[in-house]
Amino acid sequence: MSEPSPIVLVVDDEIQIRRFLRTGFELNGFVVHEAGTGAEAIRTATLRPIDLAIVDLGLPDMDGADVVERIRSWSSVPIIVLSVRSAEAQKVHLLETGADDYVVKPFGMAELLARVRVALRRQMRAVSGEPTVKAGPLTIDLAARAVLLNDKRLTLTPKEYRLLQVLAQHAGNVVTHQHLLKEVWGSIHVHDTHYLRIFVRKLRQKIEPHPDTPKILVTELGVGYRLVQSGAEGDAGTWSDSNAQAKTES
Amino acid sequence: MDNSPVYDRIRKQLPGIFITLALVGVLTAILFFLVWEVGLAHGSIVYLIPVVIAATRWGIVAALVAAVCGVFASAYFFYPPAYSFRVKDPQEVIDLILFVFVAVAVSQLANRLKRQLEMARQREIDVRDLYAFSRRLAVAFDVSDIHAAIEDHLASIMQRNVVLFASAREASDSSGRRAGMTVPQRVLSEVVEVASGHHDVVGGAIVTAESGEIWLVRAVSPKSREFGVLAINLGHESKERLNELRIRVDAVLADATATLERLGVAHAISEARMRSQTDQLREALIGSVSHELRTPLASILGAATVLSAAPALRQEKKLTALVHDVRDEAERLNNDIQNLLDATRISSDGIKPHVEWAEPADIINSAVERCRHRLSDRRVAIDVPPDLPLIHVDPILIQQALVQIFDNAVKYSESGSPIKVAVRTQDGRLNIDVTDKGAGLTTTEAAKIWDRFARGERHAATTSGSGLGLWIASAFIGANDGKVGATSDGPGLGTTVSIELPVSQDALPQLESGADE
Repeated sequence: MSEPSPIVLVVDDEIQIRRFLRTGFELNGFVVHEAGTGAEAIRTATLRPIDLAIVDLGLPDMDGADVVERIRSWSSVPIIVLSVRSAEAQKVHLLETGADDYVVKPFGMAELLARVRVALRRQMRAVSGEPTVKAGPLTIDLAARAVLLNDKRLTLTPKEYRLLQVLAQHAGNVVTHQHLLKEVWGSIHVHDTHYLRIFVRKLRQKIEPHPDTPKILVTELGVGYRLVQSGAEGDAGTWSDSNAQAKTES
Repeated sequence: MDNSPVYDRIRKQLPGIFITLALVGVLTAILFFLVWEVGLAHGSIVYLIPVVIAATRWGIVAALVAAVCGVFASAYFFYPPAYSFRVKDPQEVIDLILFVFVAVAVSQLANRLKRQLEMARQREIDVRDLYAFSRRLAVAFDVSDIHAAIEDHLASIMQRNVVLFASAREASDSSGRRAGMTVPQRVLSEVVEVASGHHDVVGGAIVTAESGEIWLVRAVSPKSREFGVLAINLGHESKERLNELRIRVDAVLADATATLERLGVAHAISEARMRSQTDQLREALIGSVSHELRTPLASILGAATVLSAAPALRQEKKLTALVHDVRDEAERLNNDIQNLLDATRISSDGIKPHVEWAEPADIINSAVERCRHRLSDRRVAIDVPPDLPLIHVDPILIQQALVQIFDNAVKYSESGSPIKVAVRTQDGRLNIDVTDKGAGLTTTEAAKIWDRFARGERHAATTSGSGLGLWIASAFIGANDGKVGATSDGPGLGTTVSIELPVSQDALPQLESGADE
């Protein structure tokens, strides 16, 4: 990376977690600031320039969701929360509050780094005003309202395009069902998940090389959908998959 | 306008008095005719008729008016000298006394009768209300239903606003707004006092609110505090009326608590409370265990992944293998903890599915993705036909059940063997079959694998596990109105686990027209 090292703020009350995150990030060329409490996190985010924040939800002094909300109230810095499994409602709430993404504990460094890179890239695109989003063979030109698959222009219905547009605007990040339904069909259809299912199915038929095993428009079960950006998923493998052969099966 | 009570009372009497006067007039005319035409000697006794009528129908005032008018009329028309109020005969005085006596006696009797009738009617209404109340209690589902029933019952009987607070905490937590009206602060604090047992006033305490309204605060039953504390808005009432109302509240509550006690409601309420406290305790325990065990695991796993990618270790093959072991074992431990947590959730009836319309293929793909590492040396084939119906389930629970089933298939099959996932719809149900070419099942095993802590005896020594996996899977599927079963051609011939989920075709909501605009 030719740009200066990105600065990441790690907010977690567990010193061991902060330590491995610091090592992991520094090995990958990041500068790390640490905060052990919510108050400290908000202070650091206010006083020092940061490119991204990692926020753990269980903080001693305040709820992680409040930290997200407070930082989000004045800053557009990407925020990734560390959540626990089986807390889909909480994840949805955090995403609505302003978090960009979540990683489920326990997680591997590679998984977190992949999410971080996606969030940073999105932030960069938002700043530069880059109008095209690439996801594998798919190119979405938000300015020209054109969708190309392998450089061939696709014909989408207005709703299909709108759905893809909202996902592209958050490319790489998960977008909640509620957000998509509100943006595409309006607030009164916020609970009509079946609309989404039907349209995602149609959209996948058009944009996915193998609609049965989608790789571009992927489902985050119980939470929402994610448009997987090209390049990002290459290093987004979970911590377990880089090690397929190491474990000897009984 | 003068609205004093005396004026009011007179005005209420007026129609009766007028009709009485008319009666006396008509009677006089008839008597006059009879005396002159037929030659009747004495008619004055006939004036008792209007007196009795007036006394029974309109009360003592009208009766006295009838008596006096009757005496005067007979004096004027019938006693000599005629057409003069002067009377020589002392009979006239006796008539007057007799008339007045009859008027007073009859009207008193009539009054008492009327009051008894009124009371009987009120009693009947009370009994009917009480009956409705116990019927409602019989169908009450939980504690709040019972409280609502008590509240409504009293409100309907007293014809006043009644608020019931289940506990001191409810009163102190509430801002005073309940059931569309505001309970004044002063009343609330009295409720808190009574509910926490500081004040124990028999018959309740009278509180005058800031607005001047009078409220009665009292425990529903002095014996069992489970029934809560009542605040009744009595409005602006005089002292005597207030006492009357208090007695009435006492009577109504005595009936109500007798019903509550007969139905054993106090016991039911305290049991329900205890259960909810146990629930809270358990949830707190699960939460803290989950946090306490997971946090160090998260550090171990995270640190291991950082180490495995560290340039310094990359050349050290043996050390890298060790780091991978740390990571894999931590992962296994994490799965075991998750299973224990899931098991705790299930055995306490804690699974509450968050159903939504879900794409079956999404659930399967996501389960396969979660098991990517474990499935990596199996030949996985997924056969999902296009145009599957959407299913109304909790996708997370189904996914977790599938993960358990995959886990099991991997555990009991050889490295490199195939695992096939096939989906089909049949008779309005969606079937997901997971087939492996592994150890298979004996008949006894097939019967037992869905039990908690079931471990195959043939494999207990060679494979690890808690025996919880398939039990969790079947509970999660069951929570979604599904069924799960296993079939095998015999030991060594592989196993097929089938998940069967309902597809409610007619319940599938259609897209509104214009949804595709």
